[in-house]
Amino acid sequence: MDEILDGTTQIDCDILIIGGGTAGPMAALKAKRKNPKANVILLDKANVKRSGAISMGMDGLNNSVIPGYATPEQYTKEITIANDGIVDQKAVYRYAEECYGIIQELDEFGIRFQKDQNGEYDVKKVHHIGTYVLPMPNGDTVKKALYRQLRKARINIINRYMATRLLTGEGRIAGAICVNTRTAEFLVVRAKAVVMSLGAAGRLGLPASGYLYGTYENASNSGEGYSMAYHAGAGLANLECFQINPLIKDYNGPACAYVAGPLGGYTSNAQGERFIECDYWSGQMMQEFYDELQGGKGPVYLKLNHLAEETVAEIERVLHIVERPTRGHFHRGRNTDYRKDMIEMHISEIGFCSGHSASGVFVDERARTTIDGLYAAGDMANVPHNYMLGAFTNGAFAGLDAVDFIKDVDFADFDMGDVDAERTRVLAPTKRDDGIPPNQIEYKTRRFVNDYLQPPKVTAKMELAQRRFEEVRHDMETEMYVRDSHELMRSLEASAIMDCADMAAAASLYRTESRWGLYHNRVEYERDDENWFCHTILTKGDDGKPAHAKKAVDDYIVEIDEDEKDAYNNQRVTSTVAAE
Amino acid sequence: MPLAQTSTIVPVVIDDALCIADKGCTVCVDVCPLDVLRIVEGPDGSPVTAHMKYDECWYCMPCEADCPTGAVTVNLPFLLK
Amino acid sequence: MNALFEDFDEIAELAEGLDDASPGTRIMAVMELANSADPAAIAHLARAISDADAGVRKQAALALTAFDGPETAAALVSALTDSDPAVIEAAALSLTELKDPEAGDAILPHLGDTDTVKLTACFAGIKELRRTEAMGAAITALKHEDAGVRIGAVGVIGWLQDEGSLPALRDAAKDVDTNVRRTALAALGFSKSEHAEATLIAALNDPEWLVREAAAETLAKVGGAKCVTALRIALEDEFWQVRLKAVRSLGKMNAVEAALEIAPMMDLLIPNLRKECAAVLGEMAAPETRPYLEKYVDDTDPDVRKNVRWALGKIDAQ
Repeated sequence: MDEILDGTTQIDCDILIIGGGTAGPMAALKAKRKNPKANVILLDKANVKRSGAISMGMDGLNNSVIPGYATPEQYTKEITIANDGIVDQKAVYRYAEECYGIIQELDEFGIRFQKDQNGEYDVKKVHHIGTYVLPMPNGDTVKKALYRQLRKARINIINRYMATRLLTGEGRIAGAICVNTRTAEFLVVRAKAVVMSLGAAGRLGLPASGYLYGTYENASNSGEGYSMAYHAGAGLANLECFQINPLIKDYNGPACAYVAGPLGGYTSNAQGERFIECDYWSGQMMQEFYDELQGGKGPVYLKLNHLAEETVAEIERVLHIVERPTRGHFHRGRNTDYRKDMIEMHISEIGFCSGHSASGVFVDERARTTIDGLYAAGDMANVPHNYMLGAFTNGAFAGLDAVDFIKDVDFADFDMGDVDAERTRVLAPTKRDDGIPPNQIEYKTRRFVNDYLQPPKVTAKMELAQRRFEEVRHDMETEMYVRDSHELMRSLEASAIMDCADMAAAASLYRTESRWGLYHNRVEYERDDENWFCHTILTKGDDGKPAHAKKAVDDYIVEIDEDEKDAYNNQRVTSTVAAE
Repeated sequence: MPLAQTSTIVPVVIDDALCIADKGCTVCVDVCPLDVLRIVEGPDGSPVTAHMKYDECWYCMPCEADCPTGAVTVNLPFLLK
Repeated sequence: MNALFEDFDEIAELAEGLDDASPGTRIMAVMELANSADPAAIAHLARAISDADAGVRKQAALALTAFDGPETAAALVSALTDSDPAVIEAAALSLTELKDPEAGDAILPHLGDTDTVKLTACFAGIKELRRTEAMGAAITALKHEDAGVRIGAVGVIGWLQDEGSLPALRDAAKDVDTNVRRTALAALGFSKSEHAEATLIAALNDPEWLVREAAAETLAKVGGAKCVTALRIALEDEFWQVRLKAVRSLGKMNAVEAALEIAPMMDLLIPNLRKECAAVLGEMAAPETRPYLEKYVDDTDPDVRKNVRWALGKIDAQ
């Protein structure tokens, strides 16, 4: 295994879905059900059984819009405010309207959502405006249940192939070039439509532990989706709206305030006082978190030790089995007892992920990107704050629309020269006798990301980042060396990470204002609605470097009152004064 | 220019006595999202046991959870434990 | 090149491995049969669940999670009396994953069983299948000596949502076990009857706070004037967790008459409770609570502050 073999195979399908985590399987199932004759392929760099952000499951839905508990209007309003207004509401609203149907479908798959003792949904109140948190008692079985559905529907699954570039022709999508992660053999897939569901760019910043794979996101989500969309010419939206999350320090996994919150746990400063709103993650909240850490009131903790024994036991039960089960190991190793000790927290490395923020490939309410026949869903598509249920729901939209799209089209012609050029690019590190291993290229790139791009953002630092990235890119293109096909996969990831780093710097420099709290805190600029109440769209320019454009925010379908628009900001500004 | 042989302690440990890789089991290798596990082969090329070949672990646990004989233990990488 | 696509092998071929002399090989066959997601595999897994090797039996019990229906349920029930506790645990877990009401056919005959572990698993399995035939056995089991069985039985009754079961639930609400009482009270949430109301109100005096909390929470579903009176008394419970649920329930019932009792609770030191009070006062939007809220418009706790400002906005909007 892992030796480098030579070979290229070409296959055809109607719809190619790249990424078998959360959105991908749902896209495949929906497409296949709508048109059982369609040839649908679901391809994954890992194995669909356990790939993606929810590899080990998920402890609950953060954003379920269930009739009787919340309305699509409330939800859309909430997301619009949390995202500082930069939202195309149509996509958010459609999600909010249709996600309940998806919950019911997932329930039929055997994914269980918490019900009360009468068998009704047990939605936890987290926000007084709406109620969105729905726990999943057997959340550790999500992937198994999904996989079963894929097998039942006899979806064609290809594991351990990594897509490296999209193929386009005739002004639309034509397919993808893929490489086997264990043999280095190539696979060219011609497809009438392609759905990208490759997850977040989670290996962009370097975690404080220094361990390359100790990331918040599943470390296999290294940003290939963003990179491929970029090279294919698709538009990417608001990449400067980084993902940064409050996490258990060192462990770097979620503390899951969504689990502990409804049961009374909260984030506190060293004095045991709550200093941020616990209801909803936002960039503004992360700014407060950062200020507390930097301002001498830290460390910051998840506080559970004021709760009753029975409640702590319940929180432990959930936190230690689902999503990141090694959390329990970690606390045991450090002798942390939730009953006595507060749990030290920290802020995560930066990444792109619309699941938690808004940085993603631009899509509309049908999950269509700016390239005909190319769709994106889940963490890599720019529907903000869409979490796991958003991945399922928007994945469904992508699959359904792709079936309509392929009705009237045949395969687009593409240039075989593109395939040859990609083979040459991919295999270059295998043609050298020695050089720099991919992990060192990656480490250096990500360290510079931390040094220069981690907010607060400073223009001069970001410009330095661009110079350093250029140097490392040069080293990568001329000296990277791999010994086997596994390392070849890592080299391709290093290249995607480099693309994402470039995009993160360029996008952050372009938006000359501050917005989204810490996510895009540019110290030299204030918020500037007059010039920057818009999306920023990044594309690959004619010179091969990132190019930028502004795109107006679509007219709202749910109006936000003037005093609501700044609800989050206003409350905080006054409070800081009051606190001091 | 040879590449260095730097030692590292790996987080995933396999109990060889319980591992049934010799019967053709590859569950842990199959499910690892980062593809860091491999099967050790005997001199004749036959499978012997699983092991962690690459120190690139997200300590996510499918290998441990899905192992049918309880042969896999996931520890936290030393750098962050 | 290796096979490109995941394959869909013939079930009969996969099942051949079940006859191999090596338990490891038989385990592999069981896992492949599970992956097939083909109902034809059920019969083979049902055979494997009585394999000579406990590891194979456990894997077969887990594998059956992938399937549903009476045949699956029957195989799992048969494993509940296995000699190995790990097999029983796996089978019990898989039973709770059943969805098809017809699967209940294989469980119903066992609801009078004497084996405690088996009975607990069978009640857990039948609960979500909502089979009305299970009601009689569940009511009988409320007298079972094992609290786990009694909790399971209450679960079955609660999901069936039958007013006829109210006397039984009332008895269960007086059970000696805390968790039986809690579960029974929560199960009363489907009923709007005076019966349910009286039982829940009585439980607000239970010695265990977890039971009082369940009662305070469930009263909001039952509704009615008596509930409001009782919840207003519960606002003085010694446990803040109970008070919090009482506040929330009064908010859900929009019991504005309690607003002036909730408002002074803003002065307490418990952050969770203060946050809840502010939210509920906002929902009630009673102008007379304004002075209590105004004190905390710049509270150091951001959640309290946010809810207070929101609440004041609601009062102003009136």
